[in-house]
Amino acid sequence: MKILMLVMLLCYSFASSSGDTTIHTNNWAVLVCTSRFWFNYRHMANTLSLYRTVKRLGIPDERIILMLADDMACNARNEYPAQVFNNENHKLNLYGDNVEVDYRGYEVTVENFLRVLTGRHENAVPRSKRLLSDEGSHILLYMTGHGGDEFLKFQDAEELQSHDLADAVKQMKEKRRFKELMIMVDTCQAATLFNQLQSPGVLAIGSSLKGENSYSHHLDSDIGVSVVDRFTYYTLAFFERLNIYDNASLNSLFRSYDPKLLMSTAYYRTDLYQPHLVEVPVTNFFGSVMETIHTNSAYKAFSSKTSNSKINSEMPLNQLSEDDELQKANIPNDELKTEKQKCPYTQMRVDLQEKLEKLENVDTVVNLSIAVMFIVVMVSSSLL
Amino acid sequence: MAGEKRNREEEEVKTDDGSPKIKPRPIVRLGIFLIAHSPVFSVVFSAAGILALLLLPLLAKNTYISENALMPGSARSMLSNRDVSAGSKLVKDIKNFRLSHEGQGVEVQKLIGEYMSEMGAEVYYQKFHPEGNQFHPLHFFSGPDSYTLLDNVSCASYGVNVAGIIRAPRGDGKESIVLASDLLKCGELNTADNFRRAGTVAAALVLKVDGRSERFEDTLSIYAEASNGQMPNLDLINVVNYLAVHRQGFYVRVEKVVSLLSSSWLKIIGEIFEAVGKLAHTLNPDWNFGIPAADYLEGSATLASSLYSQALGIPTGPHGAFRDYQVDAITLKVSPRFPPDSKTRQHDFFLRGARLLEGTIRSVNNLLEKFHQSFFLYLLTSPSKFISVGVYMIAFALLVAPLPMVAASLYIDGCKALTNSTLNPAGNFKSWKWLDAAKQVFALHLLGFIVTLLPYFICQIPGQHSPRNRSIMWGTTSSSLLFITFATIPGCSPFSSRLHGTNWAVVKSVTISAAFIGLCLMSIINFATAEIGALLLVPTCLMAQPIKPALRSRKIKSLLGAFCSMVLLTIGFPVMFFAISKELLGEGLVGLSLGGEFWTWLESLWAWKSATYLYIGMVHLPCWLLCLCILFHPS
Repeated sequence: MKILMLVMLLCYSFASSSGDTTIHTNNWAVLVCTSRFWFNYRHMANTLSLYRTVKRLGIPDERIILMLADDMACNARNEYPAQVFNNENHKLNLYGDNVEVDYRGYEVTVENFLRVLTGRHENAVPRSKRLLSDEGSHILLYMTGHGGDEFLKFQDAEELQSHDLADAVKQMKEKRRFKELMIMVDTCQAATLFNQLQSPGVLAIGSSLKGENSYSHHLDSDIGVSVVDRFTYYTLAFFERLNIYDNASLNSLFRSYDPKLLMSTAYYRTDLYQPHLVEVPVTNFFGSVMETIHTNSAYKAFSSKTSNSKINSEMPLNQLSEDDELQKANIPNDELKTEKQKCPYTQMRVDLQEKLEKLENVDTVVNLSIAVMFIVVMVSSSLL
Repeated sequence: MAGEKRNREEEEVKTDDGSPKIKPRPIVRLGIFLIAHSPVFSVVFSAAGILALLLLPLLAKNTYISENALMPGSARSMLSNRDVSAGSKLVKDIKNFRLSHEGQGVEVQKLIGEYMSEMGAEVYYQKFHPEGNQFHPLHFFSGPDSYTLLDNVSCASYGVNVAGIIRAPRGDGKESIVLASDLLKCGELNTADNFRRAGTVAAALVLKVDGRSERFEDTLSIYAEASNGQMPNLDLINVVNYLAVHRQGFYVRVEKVVSLLSSSWLKIIGEIFEAVGKLAHTLNPDWNFGIPAADYLEGSATLASSLYSQALGIPTGPHGAFRDYQVDAITLKVSPRFPPDSKTRQHDFFLRGARLLEGTIRSVNNLLEKFHQSFFLYLLTSPSKFISVGVYMIAFALLVAPLPMVAASLYIDGCKALTNSTLNPAGNFKSWKWLDAAKQVFALHLLGFIVTLLPYFICQIPGQHSPRNRSIMWGTTSSSLLFITFATIPGCSPFSSRLHGTNWAVVKSVTISAAFIGLCLMSIINFATAEIGALLLVPTCLMAQPIKPALRSRKIKSLLGAFCSMVLLTIGFPVMFFAISKELLGEGLVGLSLGGEFWTWLESLWAWKSATYLYIGMVHLPCWLLCLCILFHPS
């Protein structure tokens, strides 16, 4: 009986090929600003602030799709030409030298947005405009603009409805275009936009509930418009304290939103998302996966564990005793530790998969296992 | 089953002939019911119309900025004290210049031009000839043309305008602010048709600085009405009002009819409404439509002024010239609190006024193209309260509603009388009985049209005539034409015998229909004219009845009715109404005779191509004449 159970278990593990087994390999960000006109300056500033944050925390331009519906920096009404600020102290120019906008102006439409998500483009669309994610990708989808009950307004001309978004996400899941997806929406009644989501692996947070408005933070009297929304302002306040190596959890981000300061309730939805928020670092979505392995020797084939311990002993000699450098050196150790702290079951399965991949002839193994099964069934039936 | 039902219905109703008659539809039945009881309903509807007009100040809503893009007051002013000092220096220079160069007005423009080019604007000088007051009927509906260069200009020389264009440093080539100064010879306004070539103009502000304010604070008066009752977009007024009140501390006012503020009957009405409002509030806390009597008085005075200005069709300020080019424009008259001799006060006043202008321009700059969100058809009861077209149309509709009903009932009565009488055996066809009346009505309308055109010909008469002489000429010509009409067209005049005369009821019915059509057409062109015209015309037309039977019967009721119609008719005569309205507005007759003033007033109407002039000539006058005919009908 026990052998039977074991064999069944093995077969099940062969058969199942769920996404839980895929490794998180890369991070993508899709940042969408849907409003045009000068008085919607703050939506542009919101999106550019997130863009800056996400780039600073490690996601490169190739993996960011930035959609801006209007040009505020070069608007004739802008008193500070080619500069976009998100604070009236004007300390940070968001529209610096290396802003790469993928969809600009009238290209930001509902159709293009859904094409980006589902990957169904015309043939001539360049790679920079495509979301080339795979099944190991974590995608951050940030949307801001004017919204309402189950819709988001695009360019004052059309709407993206919640069921359209849910449909697109479902298509993405079926085509295995993401491992985990985080949707962040900063509009009025934002939480209604992800009412219809059903696909697993999706985490969503909105700046306000149904019936609530999302408010701007402050008015910049030099420029003459509101420069940032409250939700994004407090999100940035959280991220400005982090750097690329921090492992603050998503839970701490979500807990940092105070309804009194936001003047609305930031609502998040975790029923489709399995991992615990306390354990997921924000850099899983907002930053970039980088497993940096420092080594002195080049081009040698080595096992990660032994070389890391070697480096650990060498590093203290080389470093200049700065605090953050110490932290950098400790990272391989941390990663090792986290490796060991992983679930033993998944570890076993991973090892098994690796062993199987090394096998050359899969057919003989399958035939062998069928033969073994047959024998076991015969034996057990004869015993009974 | 349905067939049986229908048969039963048919059996119930049978006409005299005995053939089955189908019961008419409910709406037809309602119409027949209304027509049958038309006297009652006409009184009810007219009274309701007048009541609705009196209720309007209560129904005024607070103004709000409709266009989200405007965001008035969100940007900090960048005007500094240095800029104000430069402005004060300009004023001082102009004053000194004027003192030193008496009688040479053209040179001031050069001075202003120099200042403008120092500021960085492109300066242009524009020569123009002032337009004479020529009424040209063929060109009544077209805009001012460049051909108005006349040989015999009333002024000896030309005028020069100076304009400066400040281009946007970082925008489209077309974006700019145009400054124009309005220094003219001969005191006439030049309708600049160079704006036609400028492209889209978002807004225009005409600024006047005037004497001394009557209150203890700096006052800003807003004049918004343009020609033919057109108004600028309400958002422009809202922006200026918001900035003036909440940012710069001005007291904003719009024109009021001052005499109404002290009228007792309006006060009584205001108190009644306040009491009713309080009662309604105690019954149900949600019903909160009562306003204090003082507010009601102010609101109705402002409303009356707004209605009258729109009705005249003459712009209340220089901004009227812009509306012909679809540019939203208002005139701002700023009056300082203290006399402008005190230096610090002057400086402060300039600073605040300049900041107000800057704020308005910055706010309008946020627009994409033009004002299009807020209302274009409205009446103001205060700088921050308005009544939109959907509300004030109801008063007009109620007032005008009895006209078709009464026309229909009179026609039916008239036809019955004609068929019953043995005087007219020939015309037995029911449908042709109105033709005679129609002939009369048409003839008088044609007369009205000719009378409207007469002033053009009168102006062509060579020689300088005073307005009084011209009006006398006009009056005599029109009366002679009237008598000729009465003589030539049979059955038309009240002096013809009974044999040739038509039944007065049919005449009245056709008159009322003509009045109804005229009023409705006018309401589309200039609503305020139609409203005031309806207030005059509807009671006159409804109450017109032959006096002779009333005098013969000597009943109190009929005598009273006859007296009322006489009074209404007297008030209805255009010249009389003009005199009365002048008295009400507090202007009074200045020095010229009534005829002369009337002529001058009409001249201003046609100078601005106001449709009110046409309305008076082609709707009001013929209907008034017809009512006169009915009053003196020989039956």
